[in-house]
Amino acid sequence: MKKTLIKFSKGKGVTLVIVIAVVVIFFSILKKEYLSWDNIRGIMYAMSLTGTITCGMACLMMSGSIDLASGAEGMMGGLVCAMLIARGMAFPLAIVLCLLMGAVFGLINAFLSNVMNFMPFIATMAMSSVWQGVGAIISGNSTIMITDRAFWKIGATNLWIFPLPFIVMVVLLLVYGWLISNTKIGRQLLLCGGNRNAARLAGINFNKISTIFFVNNGVIACIGGIILASRMHNGTVGNVVGAEMDGMVAAIIGGVSFLGGGSSGMGVLFLGILMLTCFKSGLYIINLNAYWMVCANGVLLVIALIVDFLRERARLRSLKAAPHSQKS
Amino acid sequence: MAQYIEFSGIGKAYPGVQALKDISFRASEGRVVALLGENGAGKSTLLKILSGDTQPDEGKIIINGEENRIASPYDAITKGISVIYQERQLAPSMSVIENVFAGDLPTKRFGVLDKKKMLQTTQEIIDKFGLPIDPEDPVGRLSVAYQQMVEIMKAYRRDSKIIAFDEPTAPLTDTEIAILFRLINQLREEGKIIIYVSHRLAEIFQITDEIVVLKDGRMVKTMVTAESNESDLIRAMVGRDIGDTYSNLSRNENIGEVLLEVNNLNNDMVHDVSFKLHKGEIVGFAGLIGAGRSEVVRAIFGADPILSGEIKIDGEICKFSSEKDAIDRGIALCPEDRKDQGLVMWRDITDNISMPVLDKLMSGLFISRKKSEDLAERAVEKYSIKTPSLDKIVSELSGGNQQKVILGRWTSDLMDTRILILDEPTKGIDVGTKAEVYQMCCDFAKQGIGVIFISSELTEVINVADNIIVMHNGHITGEVRRAEATEENVLALAMLD
Amino acid sequence: MERSTWFSRFTRSKMIVLLVLYVILAAIFTVVSKGQYLSWYNIRNIMNSMVVTAYLTCGAAFLMIAGNVDLSTAQVALLSGAMLGTFLQMHLPWPIAILGVFVIAAAVGTLNAVLINEIKFQPFVATMAVSYIVQGLMLVRLEGFSIDVDSPPIVWFGTYRIKGVLPVSIIFTFIIFAIYGVILVKSKFGKMLYLVGGNPTAAKLAGLNPKKISYILFINNAVLGSFAGMLQAARLKAATANGIANGMFAGMTGAILGGVSFGGGSGGMGGAFVGLVLLNGFNAGLSTVGLSPYWQTVASGALLLIALTFDYFNNKRLASAK
Repeated sequence: MKKTLIKFSKGKGVTLVIVIAVVVIFFSILKKEYLSWDNIRGIMYAMSLTGTITCGMACLMMSGSIDLASGAEGMMGGLVCAMLIARGMAFPLAIVLCLLMGAVFGLINAFLSNVMNFMPFIATMAMSSVWQGVGAIISGNSTIMITDRAFWKIGATNLWIFPLPFIVMVVLLLVYGWLISNTKIGRQLLLCGGNRNAARLAGINFNKISTIFFVNNGVIACIGGIILASRMHNGTVGNVVGAEMDGMVAAIIGGVSFLGGGSSGMGVLFLGILMLTCFKSGLYIINLNAYWMVCANGVLLVIALIVDFLRERARLRSLKAAPHSQKS
Repeated sequence: MAQYIEFSGIGKAYPGVQALKDISFRASEGRVVALLGENGAGKSTLLKILSGDTQPDEGKIIINGEENRIASPYDAITKGISVIYQERQLAPSMSVIENVFAGDLPTKRFGVLDKKKMLQTTQEIIDKFGLPIDPEDPVGRLSVAYQQMVEIMKAYRRDSKIIAFDEPTAPLTDTEIAILFRLINQLREEGKIIIYVSHRLAEIFQITDEIVVLKDGRMVKTMVTAESNESDLIRAMVGRDIGDTYSNLSRNENIGEVLLEVNNLNNDMVHDVSFKLHKGEIVGFAGLIGAGRSEVVRAIFGADPILSGEIKIDGEICKFSSEKDAIDRGIALCPEDRKDQGLVMWRDITDNISMPVLDKLMSGLFISRKKSEDLAERAVEKYSIKTPSLDKIVSELSGGNQQKVILGRWTSDLMDTRILILDEPTKGIDVGTKAEVYQMCCDFAKQGIGVIFISSELTEVINVADNIIVMHNGHITGEVRRAEATEENVLALAMLD
Repeated sequence: MERSTWFSRFTRSKMIVLLVLYVILAAIFTVVSKGQYLSWYNIRNIMNSMVVTAYLTCGAAFLMIAGNVDLSTAQVALLSGAMLGTFLQMHLPWPIAILGVFVIAAAVGTLNAVLINEIKFQPFVATMAVSYIVQGLMLVRLEGFSIDVDSPPIVWFGTYRIKGVLPVSIIFTFIIFAIYGVILVKSKFGKMLYLVGGNPTAAKLAGLNPKKISYILFINNAVLGSFAGMLQAARLKAATANGIANGMFAGMTGAILGGVSFGGGSGGMGGAFVGLVLLNGFNAGLSTVGLSPYWQTVASGALLLIALTFDYFNNKRLASAK
């Protein structure tokens, strides 16, 4: 326990906590409503979507990949779920089918990046337009309303003060955090991201690991989409699209290296998600023009990259200062 | 019965090349077998076959009397074969423990890691080899040498019977080599079968028991180390005696006035370096890898920043803010790494040779194809570069011919090169071409060019250069004339602490 | 000593394959659309649709040959249209307005180059971030409306047809494309692009300046993008918030189709042109056979994947030739 605490105080955790505190104080001075119960709940809801997407994305990034279609995949999850329920299917069955569909999305991405050897960045971006187009075609580009009240409950239930979607996200983070640091597949994932060739020569099947996490990401994206559909009571083409940017930014801020192999644990990842959401929610509450928010996305990505850059440089410095490397 | 691995009639052809033909030898437990040969002799192809990276076209691999097909790198591991490559197969951000167990992570139930066992086993191996490594440290923090030790620990942990090393000492200092050899001896005593690939003759005598000599993909000789000597080996490798390569060099006797003067040069890697280079002189830089030799020339060339000190050409102080400035003043650098720094691998010979003189190939607004190809043709003829056509992509040339392309680039008649810096010009090229490169250096000197010749092969530096500067840890530790230079006194300076 | 000939260089490029592919595609579309595909109306449509993307393809191909990439060009184009409209609304004379837009575009290009060369970001992510920033600025400027672009000379350039048939803008585009092609093949700058794209370290040690080239290319790319955007606005007589097909990959898809590889150092403008024809011919084909416009979104992704597949097989061929 003590060891964890020391590790925490040395790591990015503390910096992030301070940054979050500054952000919160800044916005609550600008607008008292920022600390209102409504807004805090709003932040929790927003975090639940970003966090869910981030969870799958972070794992992929640790393996050195990325899925920029996560948002579009989540959109498809919510949309198809809404369509199935609207056609009278029982919602649990609809959910299961949509999660299966998410797995197929992941398989397609895995095929493109592992078998065809396309850069994941481009291939998944292309898939993002494909799914957005498909979504528009199957829905006729209109909003599909959901009238099944039982399905609404998923997004509306509370456990004590926490909304269910928030709980789902926290559980996902805990499960994946544990998975990565304590299981074989987690280590294999990190090894693949750390040195793909080494992993291959050590007999780790990179394609298998990468495929698993692409599929995992597709499924998680659909979970995010379905939960959002349940909260909104509808499925529509615009939903979730763009969340992959938040996921990527939150993961980088939360200590996942953009170049694969590095992670600072799920606690820091959670703080990354929290920081991003607090900031964005602050921008909303001070009534920033929605168009500026598009700009903010870009700026946040640049900031996250600068953070990653500085972190990497610090790591290199520590390598130089390490005891063994000076010895000859 | 003693365990062994036997290669029997191994052959492998790539389009256009017979990489290996009829290779048969046996390596037994408790023995270190050297695979010796020039570049392109087929050593790496043989290692690739052993590691399952590629399959032989003909022949068999027999392990303890049983014929085996090594289908993949993973298959090789399960059959008890570990190959330790020059490029580290490690994940730098992960700990020693995790790297040692990569690919074979022990689990309790449900895929949950057995962390305790991992730590314990790793610590045991570290203790066994007596290494000062913290198992929890990320591998990226270890020095190159210790990273190599981690590779060995990995092989040991897998309980590999057969361990092959691919030029393991290339990046190591002498102290580190000593540690490596201690480890290899320990492995030998435990009855491992060790295959040791190297260029360096001295090492082969130091560590191996048997030697298999390859040439042009064929096995020319197998011998017992204790019963052979260096000239036998060289003769076997080259197919002729190169003993008098150096004495046959036609040298420049006519050394002129000071061309380049470096005074108290300092930067992150280079400390207080001063030396002089005369017209028509070859100055050799000797030292261990990492001694700062490449860094000195990079600083002179304007490729790395200079903190203090001055560089004078013809007595005139020069400040280069970029490589271009240095080139304009007549300095040329042939970098250490041909593939990564020297050549544009996917472009043809013409493009690679004309690179620094594009300005002089213009006719009107455009580059004249004819002028470029004339230039390239002159270089190809002058240095007898073996190629069917000028638009051959340089990645398809052999190492020696690639080096000649770079030399051709810097010494073409359109260049006004006065100071030619050659960083490890003979690295990875065969012995025959090496001799050609030495003679070229002397020829450049005869033209009045000042040549800086950096090499990690001691024999080469002390025999080619007129004046040898020895570096250690970024400092110059001594300067020796060729007449007085011996391997012993230069090495002593190189290892000075 | 054997030298390369015009013919050997041509056969080595993949232009023939692409041309054949396009002929097949065109034949299919012609049959399905009952000949409509080959009508003058449709051919002019294809050329018209090529006009705007051609500039983006030029810029993207140059960047990619030198081993770089820019995802922000399409947004720069849209922002340029919006700014042109804004400047004209401020009653600035049209040459000044155009100049102003070029300056803005050059600034964005410089920003990209700084992020990549000085702060060492990965080009993909850096330019993606810039793309969002530029898009945001454009949206803020337009606020959901469109701005009229009504300066007669600009509108003339966008819409005038010689003898009522052949649009000036198309001719101009072809000329620009040809000029870039000549620069690439014949000039020193073009040669430097290939060398820098092939191996930046080696190029630097041989006295070339990869950083300078990168700055020039990013600025060139952004300026070409802004030209495309202004032309688009001139033809529609208004600046709008969308209308550049294929988004971040607008210029690149054609270039990759035509054999310009992401790795840098390979490809040429001839191939890029054929790629561009293929791309726009395909899109036009989809609408002549009467598919829903949403299919265009699907196609934009699918075409990129097809382009990459081409690249993949080409690299495989190169590797096996080794």
